[in-house]
Amino acid sequence: MTDKGRLSRRLWAFPAARERRPEAGQTNAPVTPTEVDSDGQASPEGTGAALVPPVVRLLGVSCRRGRRVALHRVSMDVAPGCVTGVLGANGAGKSTLLGIITGLYRPYEGSAWVLGERLPARGAALRRRIGVVLQETALYEELTVEGNLRFTAALYSVPRPDRRIEELLELLGLGDRTRDVVSSLSGGLRRRLTLARALLHEPELLIVDEPTLGVDAEARHAIWEHIRLLRARGTTVVVASNYFDEVQALCDTAAVLHDGRLVVHESPASLAARAGQCLDIECEADAVGQINDLLMTLPGVSRSQATPSGLTAFLHGDVAPEDVVREVLQHAHISGFRVRAADLAEVFRVLQPAQHGATDQ
Amino acid sequence: MRPTLAAFRGGFRAEVQQLRRSRLLLGLTIVQAVTFLVLVSIFGLTGSYVPTAVVDQDGGQLAHRWVTLMQAAHHTYGLRYMDAQHAQQALRRGDVAAVLTIPPGFSRSIAEHRMIRIPFRVDNVNADLTDDVERGIPSVAVNFARENRLPGIRVAPAEADLVRHEADFVPYLVVSALALDAFVVAGILAATSVAREFEARTVTNLKLSPIHPLVPLAGRLLATGAASTAAIAMTTLVVVAGYQVVPAHPLETAAALLLCVIIFSCIGVGVGALVRRTLPLTALIFGLALPLYIDSGSLEPARFDGNLIWGIAHTSPIYYAVGILQYAVHGLRVTPETVTLDFAALVGWALLAACGAWLGLRRAVVA
Repeated sequence: MTDKGRLSRRLWAFPAARERRPEAGQTNAPVTPTEVDSDGQASPEGTGAALVPPVVRLLGVSCRRGRRVALHRVSMDVAPGCVTGVLGANGAGKSTLLGIITGLYRPYEGSAWVLGERLPARGAALRRRIGVVLQETALYEELTVEGNLRFTAALYSVPRPDRRIEELLELLGLGDRTRDVVSSLSGGLRRRLTLARALLHEPELLIVDEPTLGVDAEARHAIWEHIRLLRARGTTVVVASNYFDEVQALCDTAAVLHDGRLVVHESPASLAARAGQCLDIECEADAVGQINDLLMTLPGVSRSQATPSGLTAFLHGDVAPEDVVREVLQHAHISGFRVRAADLAEVFRVLQPAQHGATDQ
Repeated sequence: MRPTLAAFRGGFRAEVQQLRRSRLLLGLTIVQAVTFLVLVSIFGLTGSYVPTAVVDQDGGQLAHRWVTLMQAAHHTYGLRYMDAQHAQQALRRGDVAAVLTIPPGFSRSIAEHRMIRIPFRVDNVNADLTDDVERGIPSVAVNFARENRLPGIRVAPAEADLVRHEADFVPYLVVSALALDAFVVAGILAATSVAREFEARTVTNLKLSPIHPLVPLAGRLLATGAASTAAIAMTTLVVVAGYQVVPAHPLETAAALLLCVIIFSCIGVGVGALVRRTLPLTALIFGLALPLYIDSGSLEPARFDGNLIWGIAHTSPIYYAVGILQYAVHGLRVTPETVTLDFAALVGWALLAACGAWLGLRRAVVA
């Protein structure tokens, strides 16, 4: 890296990230107003209200995949040093959004800036500052763990690759698998290796598409731990996920996509508050009707749904589940209950009225 | 320049490592080059002789002499003695293509200069073999009549060879087979290397890297080219040591084979970028190679196959490669074009193939 590159990184990326990073759960003001240049070009610097320019800025970006409009007028910012989640069901446009940021896809409408550069001007210098973990592991199966990383090191001209590879493999718990052929690795280890590959050149911006797809719980938590570690070191991370609990656990902000449109971009905590909680009640089959009727009379219960073991009540964020249980117990017998966070489906259900026109400009 | 070189070297090293891991694939591809050579030789050995049953019902000296002359007919008959019943059965089964019966009293009739009919039943399922049989019998009869001073036969051939020495059919074939080997081996290895990038989606990582994705791919292709060259070198050694066919001009042989590896690697790259899957590649390369091989003067000079085929042959690099190789190994001129012109055409093909491969790969990877 040139001295200039090093300097610019030091000056505005990391320290600023530490200053501005919100605590997990705290709402982050995601979209800053945009200045328009005299020539009509929007600028990534914003109005000046924001002290630090966003690492990624999308303004009314639309993108087609084949004939389908995969992304429709999406505008959002990614603040430096934050972990931003892109949440959505399959086909919602998450991978397309990440593809635009990485330069794989070109928007047919709107503007995008990444690390201060307007896309699609993708020079080698910019690519060197971005690390990408694709949805597919995309590793060379016949090569060893070390062989895969060596090849990537050659692509990114990583200085002293031996030391860096050793360091990363130790960090990601692959130190004893260095000489193993990739085809012999489990799904979780492959995911870790793809993460190591993306981090090899110490990127300022890490894009991760479905980081825990197809991995077991242990590997999932290990990967989460590494992403948290990166956040602590000041790296900006954009994570696409299907899982609300993953976004809650990892991200400072969450952008929810539905059918190619940005529905909302706010902190996972406020998203969770909006989606409320789920109260799973276990009871006899003949009591389900009675409890259901009772729940529908209680304030703060949005709806209920029968389950094989009883029913699930969907509660507003400001309702204490214990109060609801207490109320139910006064009128009916239940054999147990469990409180859990709302899942992605519930998040979407709650956000449904806000979906259309949310980002249309 | 240094990052580009590092990425190119990285691609080369990764491909070498990958090939070392895929030893079975590499081994089988190299062995395939040798088996192709053997296959083509076997075709030459078996396809050039008509299996013929001889039923000698005379048993006399002149009958024996007739059979000897048949055996001496160049590249025509593969004779087997049988009795009448077995010969008919063999003909029906398809074990022999013809049955020649020397009738009783043959020797006496010839000695008395009397005409005698020699029954010859031919299974004309294959026109090529039938033609061979039809061409062979008159020459045997003329030789036989001249030996026995039968009246009315006056043959005085005055042969002037165009070529100072002759190459046997099998040595001719194995030299052409080297060009086919280069097509198959270089084509398969290069196509696999490219298709694998798409199949494993690793090509996306190349696209995202700061270096142009074609640079590491070029490094990879250099490694597959080196492996193909090694395979062809080994096959050439088999030709020299096993078939006792020693090139008259080793440098020209090596240059022609190297150009073949380059051209067919590039064709492989194009096929790999087009198909993007490894599974159908081998069958596809074979399918492409065989017609080009057969129609490009590999079995005999293409100009003997008629103007149409000869014209088509000019569009194939194998035509020029065979032209150079037959000259470089046997000293034969099988194309009317000069060897220099054949070389120029092959170099042109190499440049064209390299440009085509680059464009195809660029379209597939970068677009």
